[in-house]
Amino acid sequence: MRFLVRRLAMLAGSLLVASFVIFGALYLAPGSALAALSGGRALPAASVAILNQRYHLNAPFLAQYWYWLENAVHGNLGISITLRENVSTLIGNRIWTTAGLVLYASLIICVGGIGLGVLAGLRPGWLDTSALVTTAVTAAIPSFVASIVLLLVFAVKLGWFPALATGGGGFATDVRTFTLPAVALALSSLAIVARVTRAAIRDEADKEHVQTAISRGIPARQVIQRHILRNAAIPITTVSAITVASLIAVSAVVETAFSMNGLGAYLVQAAQSKDLAVVQGISLVLVTAFVVVNLLADVLYAVLDPRVKLGTKAS
Amino acid sequence: MTRRHRWLRHTAALALLLAVPACGKSLSSAGSAQGEVSPTAGLVATTPPGSKPVNSVVWAVYRDVNSLDPAFAFDYPENTAISLMCESLLRQQPDGSLTPGLATVAYPSPTKIVFTVRQGAAFWDGHPVTPADVVYSLQRQMSPAVGGFYGQAFSRVGSISATGGDQVTITLKQPDYWLPGELGSMGGVIIEKAFADKEGKNYGTPAGSIMCTGPYELKSWAPGEGVTAVVNKNYWDTAVHPKVAQITLKGVSDPTTLTSGMLTGAIQGTYYGGLSTLNQLRASKAVKVYQGPGWSTDAFIVSATSGALANVKVRQALSLALDRKSLISTVYEGAALMPRWLANPGTFGYGKPVFDAAYDASAVLNQNLAAARKLVKQAGVAGQTITIGTTSQIPSIAAETGAYQAAAQAIGLNVSLKTVSANDYINFFTSPQARKGVDGFITVNYGDYADPAALLATAVLPGGSQNYDNFNDPQITSLLEQARGTADLNARARLVATAEQLAVRQLPWIPNAQPTNVLVLNSGLTGAVGSFAFMFAPWADNLGGK
Repeated sequence: MRFLVRRLAMLAGSLLVASFVIFGALYLAPGSALAALSGGRALPAASVAILNQRYHLNAPFLAQYWYWLENAVHGNLGISITLRENVSTLIGNRIWTTAGLVLYASLIICVGGIGLGVLAGLRPGWLDTSALVTTAVTAAIPSFVASIVLLLVFAVKLGWFPALATGGGGFATDVRTFTLPAVALALSSLAIVARVTRAAIRDEADKEHVQTAISRGIPARQVIQRHILRNAAIPITTVSAITVASLIAVSAVVETAFSMNGLGAYLVQAAQSKDLAVVQGISLVLVTAFVVVNLLADVLYAVLDPRVKLGTKAS
Repeated sequence: MTRRHRWLRHTAALALLLAVPACGKSLSSAGSAQGEVSPTAGLVATTPPGSKPVNSVVWAVYRDVNSLDPAFAFDYPENTAISLMCESLLRQQPDGSLTPGLATVAYPSPTKIVFTVRQGAAFWDGHPVTPADVVYSLQRQMSPAVGGFYGQAFSRVGSISATGGDQVTITLKQPDYWLPGELGSMGGVIIEKAFADKEGKNYGTPAGSIMCTGPYELKSWAPGEGVTAVVNKNYWDTAVHPKVAQITLKGVSDPTTLTSGMLTGAIQGTYYGGLSTLNQLRASKAVKVYQGPGWSTDAFIVSATSGALANVKVRQALSLALDRKSLISTVYEGAALMPRWLANPGTFGYGKPVFDAAYDASAVLNQNLAAARKLVKQAGVAGQTITIGTTSQIPSIAAETGAYQAAAQAIGLNVSLKTVSANDYINFFTSPQARKGVDGFITVNYGDYADPAALLATAVLPGGSQNYDNFNDPQITSLLEQARGTADLNARARLVATAEQLAVRQLPWIPNAQPTNVLVLNSGLTGAVGSFAFMFAPWADNLGGK
């Protein structure tokens, strides 16, 4: 209980700091919301005054931040300057796209990456070597390159998957539309997770107690399950959590490439038009997701290894 | 009168990766066929009407639509969406001519314009269009409280009032024959007063809705997903029968995605200028690429008030030294004409024979380095430095800046660059501070209606919204002022043509290319408007299956 309270306080603190930093960065960044609003044309002075007043564009930095914070605390994330729509509605429209994409990619990473790593770790030989080579290559492929190649091969040339998400359709359609983006997003992380998993497995397998267990004739299956996998689980969890959390940020690239209606792509777009409220809103969602994923990893540590006490190692 | 500049769209670097292996274009050959032929020959203003019904079409715009309120429509996505569904008092036809739209127009005196609402004209909800709706819509555009973009277009308007059961009269402070053009674009879109009053601040936003008169009506708008329009079954003009039941406008910001979408049929159509994958699309059987008359001009805005470029001879030399043909082939993949004037010949919406004759008599702005060097020598500016405002983040602008660098160096001028981020590029247009020390920068610019004067006026009139070098030529000013007050179309065309001919000698802006309007359609479809008029008037009335 104390652990949870502490983590929640940490979350609130992270959000506060993040919101201030993001607000400040955007405030200092060049460009003005007015330019985005007017499309660069010269507006009559009266219109400029009205827009400035409507969006508090002339207020000093701290006043603007305070104004935003006060509303945010009351659950009002403000309205988008470009769309004149509530930020929470705009986020709500897009959050499932990003969540679906990240979950799908995480699934691919965990199943594919850990599976491949375990296999390669336990079976030295040609499988291990080819896994090493493949992962070395894929780890180096950034997701935007993966997006282009996948689009070109599987959507344009082969026509197996749609080239972009046009919305509508049931679960099966969604899975089909999300497959290419999820693979593009997962590819390099999958390689990293696979390599770390393989190393962890090797490490454990070489340990004295494992060798002793084997020499005492304990069935291989049991050795692997009890002594190797269990102990290797901690580093695997760590690297998986970090890569999954980072997917949330990287998703912007893939969403843009596949023209998906997600938070990441929208964040980039909003930052470009200096749509402050939207940038803040999305950032808060992303920061929250990041903290939650790490929290889950911490809980998982305690489950995997009883020696880890919640709250002590968590900090 | 209001004008928007637009910097070329953010072509992502990704596109290059996809495009490079596909196109083996040579710099010298492409584009050379353009320009030598008469203005808009070979361009299609309309594509053959579709004959078969189509259930649904996904149409791409270069980013998400931000507003459906005509007062806030300033860029391609908003215009494409609003012109699909809404109508203006007057209508710009695909060939640029101005015809009755929701109303017919008469000029009882030079300072009075009378609009008579067309019989049967009605909103989607069946309510007839009344003079009250017209007065409301126009006054809303003018109102500083609304903060719309078209207020300046109404600068000569004294009053707007309903003067009969179906009549609205605009009284002008001074004759203004440019106003009707504005009323044939976003500034003249008529919306329903009662509906807009009820919606208040939400009108035209995703939270609210809109009420227009066009052949398509708004079905839904989910930001990010797109704007979906369906056929308005009660369309007042019974001669029009749209064949596509539903059109979804989807923002696709990445040219690579757009290209693969078009090639796979996930996207069935788009108007997309400066597309880096045009040759790849041309080569595909799945799509057809049309080029129509354009209204926009790609130019180098001179903002120098002192220094080398303030000298007309140096501007002429720079213009002569510019290699426009390779610029048209690299930046536009051939989809642009060689310029002769500042105006794109696609804007000859009236007095066409007059404009065509004057245009034919004007020289193509070909490269001539010898003549350019001679001018520099005369001006005695060799070795001086000019500063160009640019951004490396927008490939087309970077490429054109490079062309200007090469031109300047070829005639013995030094170039220094003031490089800013893509986001900040807009500041060259809006902030005198950002322009300080900058002698010029690249733009793609268009007027709201098909008239060469629409763009020229912003660049050359004293106090013009884009007259950044304090250009002032009494003769050009007087010609344009006269044109604004001249009712006769041919007489007006003569005045404007003369002004253009003078301006291209003075070069307040240096024209680089006249982009054609690029329409990409799935090969199963036909009938979309091919010219830049799609920005201002319904463009899908004839769209349908082959």
